[in-house]
Amino acid sequence: MNQDINIKTLQKNCFRQSKVPGVFLLQMRVPGGYVSAEMLEIVKHISETWGDGNFHFGTRQTFDVCGIKYQDVPAVNEYLEKYIKSVEEDVCGVDMDLIAGEKVGWNPKAGYPTIGARNITACIGNYHCVCGNVNTFELARKIEGIIFPSHYHIKINISGCPNDCNKAHLCDFGIIGVAEMEYHPDRCIGCGLCARTCEKGSTRVLTLNEETGKIEKDTCCCVGCGECARVCPASAWTRKEEKYYRVIIGGRTGRQTPRTGKMFLNWASEDVVLSVLKNWQNFSAWVMNYKPEYLHGGHLIDRAGYKKFKEIMLEGVKLNPECLVAEDIYWHETEYRSNFNVKPLSLHHTAGPQDKK
Amino acid sequence: MENIVQPKPYKISEVRHETDLEYTFRFDTDIKVNHGQFLMLSIPKIGEVPISVSDQGDGWLEFTIRKVGKVTNVIFEKVAGDVMFLRGPYGNGWPMDKFQGKHLIVIAGGTGVSPVRSTLNFCARNEGFVKDVSLICGFKGCNCILFKSDLEKWQNNFKHTWLCLDNEDKEGFCRGFVTNYIKELPLNEYEDNYEIIVVGPPVMMKYVGLELIKNGFSEEKIWMSFERKMSCGVGKCGHCRIDEYYVCTDGPVFPYKIAKNLVD
Amino acid sequence: MSYRLTQNEADAVFAELLKKFDIYAPHRHVCAGRYSDDDIVKYDKVESLSDVEYKKKSDYPMKEVISPIQQALFYFTEDEYRESKVSSRPILIFARPCDINAQKIQARIYAGNGGFTDSYYERMKDRVKYILMDCEGGDDNCFCVSMHTNKTDNYSLAVKFHEDGSLFVKVKDQDFDNYFQEIKEIEFEPEFVNKNELKVTVPVIKDHETLNKLKAHPMWNEFNSRCISCGACTIACSTCTCFTTKDIIYGDNPEVGERRRIESSCQVDGYTTVAGGISYRKTAGEKMRFKMLHKFHDYKERFVDSDMCVGCGRCTARCPQFISITTTLDKMSKAIEEIEKGEV
Ligand SMILES: Cc1cc2nc3c(=O)[nH]c(=O)nc-3n(C[C@H](O)[C@H](O)[C@H](O)COP(=O)(O)OP(=O)(O)OC[C@H]3O[C@@H](n4cnc5c(N)ncnc54)[C@H](O)[C@@H]3O)c2cc1C
Ligand code: SF4
Ligand code: SF4
Ligand code: SF4
Ligand code: SF4
Ligand code: SF4
Ligand code: FES
Repeated sequence: MNQDINIKTLQKNCFRQSKVPGVFLLQMRVPGGYVSAEMLEIVKHISETWGDGNFHFGTRQTFDVCGIKYQDVPAVNEYLEKYIKSVEEDVCGVDMDLIAGEKVGWNPKAGYPTIGARNITACIGNYHCVCGNVNTFELARKIEGIIFPSHYHIKINISGCPNDCNKAHLCDFGIIGVAEMEYHPDRCIGCGLCARTCEKGSTRVLTLNEETGKIEKDTCCCVGCGECARVCPASAWTRKEEKYYRVIIGGRTGRQTPRTGKMFLNWASEDVVLSVLKNWQNFSAWVMNYKPEYLHGGHLIDRAGYKKFKEIMLEGVKLNPECLVAEDIYWHETEYRSNFNVKPLSLHHTAGPQDKK
Repeated sequence: MENIVQPKPYKISEVRHETDLEYTFRFDTDIKVNHGQFLMLSIPKIGEVPISVSDQGDGWLEFTIRKVGKVTNVIFEKVAGDVMFLRGPYGNGWPMDKFQGKHLIVIAGGTGVSPVRSTLNFCARNEGFVKDVSLICGFKGCNCILFKSDLEKWQNNFKHTWLCLDNEDKEGFCRGFVTNYIKELPLNEYEDNYEIIVVGPPVMMKYVGLELIKNGFSEEKIWMSFERKMSCGVGKCGHCRIDEYYVCTDGPVFPYKIAKNLVD
Repeated sequence: MSYRLTQNEADAVFAELLKKFDIYAPHRHVCAGRYSDDDIVKYDKVESLSDVEYKKKSDYPMKEVISPIQQALFYFTEDEYRESKVSSRPILIFARPCDINAQKIQARIYAGNGGFTDSYYERMKDRVKYILMDCEGGDDNCFCVSMHTNKTDNYSLAVKFHEDGSLFVKVKDQDFDNYFQEIKEIEFEPEFVNKNELKVTVPVIKDHETLNKLKAHPMWNEFNSRCISCGACTIACSTCTCFTTKDIIYGDNPEVGERRRIESSCQVDGYTTVAGGISYRKTAGEKMRFKMLHKFHDYKERFVDSDMCVGCGRCTARCPQFISITTTLDKMSKAIEEIEKGEV
């Protein structure tokens, strides 16, 4: 097989190189990991017509179709129009003509315009799960248009509750649904089940005061999981109707310096989460001197330093009164090679606009 | 309308130490009770506990209380002259009319002696109310013996008395469980004209019941006093209920025919 | 006499009633459910007709108005127990037949059982009049028809909410006639459910021997692993009456405090625990057996007229472990059959 293929262009088009020359894997975005089952017909058609007849669940909750030949890419892209319009435009309200907020114009027959801003993953959240505190895929759908299409990369994982099944701690920008709990002492029968449950499965912040027969809470450390409301026989604990989020940043896997993320915001309202994310493009652009590279968000935070990250990300954001912001962040990385970060100055990365030499 | 759970203040006139863990408190009160009934004793801010009347007389009631927990701990701090709150009496008490003129057999263990003490003292004070009394009374060991002066009086007044210690020796006491001495009760002497009181811990009452039947005593004539968790004493809170019976109002005294079938 | 009130007329009558009565009704609490974004419907004091949730059967029973989850019995200082006071304003409660009938069951315990009448229950009950709500068939947990609690004539007003906002009202208690003077009469009679999807037959336990064999039957073991003894079933129950008394001190002033009555449950650990930690029913199976037998045997054995259940199905609906009271009752019937056939 002798073909001249620009795999960089194909990658931006969401086709990934395979071991076999000229054969590619298509990644179809599924924001929040949740779409109408009808979409499977499209996946099926693509796979059976141009692919190898199978599909794989991408680790970022994409539909991945293997075995697509280079010469079929245009046909696949043309067929994808239906899927992209339905999922991105109709369901998520994405303006496909914008790239990182700038009007570029999208050719609907040409498939995905960018691979940047990787698919937003989510657990099923409160749509189904008894532990979930928020509707995760609806949040994903709201975020989709803010970060996609774009050549800046960010991995966002959304978890419905602090159990964090979807590993918000292992991505650039993890969002966890937290519930602000309200205690109604007039309904409490003093059975202590909430305190036992909190002790066993959460943060041990509740105690039954034997003198008063009521529950006392160490509010400092409640993670907002909502387990107390789940077990209380009398609805003496309830979740506030307003939804809150914890935002974890800078988590990653990888060959060099994997690490779990750290808390950036706690008790942020949805508005705050969305408006913070609206600053993502600016932040990335600033760090990379306005030239997108294939580099994930966590590394950008490292280059800019947390304080700079905080400054740009909170620009123009009106924090809700409950919202707490990390003053500083102290990372715990695994350096696969000791002193991995110690190197000649000339090898250090730069961040922000560079003076023209 | 009368508030059935309203506690009223009464003065403690005397506190006697029976053992380290059991004190007898005498209250000045004209509350009238039947033998075997109980009252609810209250200490504001601490709580309320059901306690049997352990003796009574003109203008006074006695309670013998074992120090076991929250409320009883605080009761133990009270001294003569202090005020406590009472409400009651509650429960049915012993069927004294059935006992009248008969041989009375009393089998009591440990703190179970309290609820029957006023009955025993009544029989001792009113010769002729019952034909005679046979008492089997057991304690765990020497330092658990209650009502030492009463025991002496009972030993003198009653026709048959067995005082036992579970596993210690002491002069005037036999060794072993109360169940061991049931076979010594002179059934023939009672000529079918007797009633039996059994009171003590649940297991003890169970085995005493079985042993009595085994030795030919009639189950119609056995009476047992129950203790269950109580929160109201007046048939409202539900804690003391077993089947369709409320221990606080239908009991604490039950005829054996009912008692033997009560499965918690 | 019956009327059809426009929304405006209904609001006006409601406003008039509020001048005299405290009005309680099922009320929807958005997102206050056990799980996120689920609502809870429970009884609350309401200020307008639009506060009344009439479509969904309340998750928690009407009894909470009359015997609240907790209430102060006495306030005390060192030397006095002072009875707590309540308002003397009359109360109107919007209620379904099951909830109204449940009060007959509760009253046998609160008023009269053991020869005592509870003044806290009486002082509330005496203030109450009912507005019967048409329940239009309830839901798939209801079995009131089997329990003969689907009908009642214990109400002052009967209402049916119409989709268009108008309200059908029957005035049964003439004390309320004057609220409707300007309004034209129509024909309207409240309808009662006469068929539930769910039917049960309460088994007869013919003697003590059968009862004790049933207590020992292996059927209860199932619940040792299924039931978590949380008590949600009895808290949600229209008829359960159990409570515990507790003295509390106010945090800021240890000299004063109050004696409270707090709902309790035979399903929860500690219900039978006495000094020294002895308790009489330890396993979930034993507790379940105690609850089932109270509901469907012991209560009737004592009070004769009815079982201690109105078939509202709230226990089943609130059980986080999906333990259905009707299925459990069927299992009980089967166990009794086995016992009678001598199979166990
Ligand atoms: C009918 C009856 C008669 C009794 N007579 C006597 C008596 O004469 N002398 C005596 O020492 N004890 C008697 N008891 C037992 C006594 O009531 C308990 O020891 C006492 O309630 C323990 O209370 P506490 O707060 O010290 O213990 P804790 O263990 O702190 O108990 C806390 C609460 O549990 C309840 N409770 C605990 N144990 C019992 C129990 N055994 N029975 C009922 N409720 C309980 C009470 O409401 C008490 O306030 C009697 C119990 C009953 C039911
Ligand atoms: S589980 Fe509910 S009723 Fe029990 S102690 Fe906690 S808040 Fe109170
Ligand atoms: S139990 Fe009967 S009365 Fe109650 S809501 Fe259901 S159908 Fe209506
Ligand atoms: S039956 Fe259900 S609601 Fe009732 S105690 Fe058991 S688990 Fe809780
Ligand atoms: S036992 Fe269940 S169905 Fe019966 S009254 Fe109580 S909650 Fe309703
Ligand atoms: S079922 Fe349990 S909680 Fe309900 S009234 Fe009976 S004993 Fe009390
Ligand atoms: S002690 Fe409350 S019902 Fe018996």
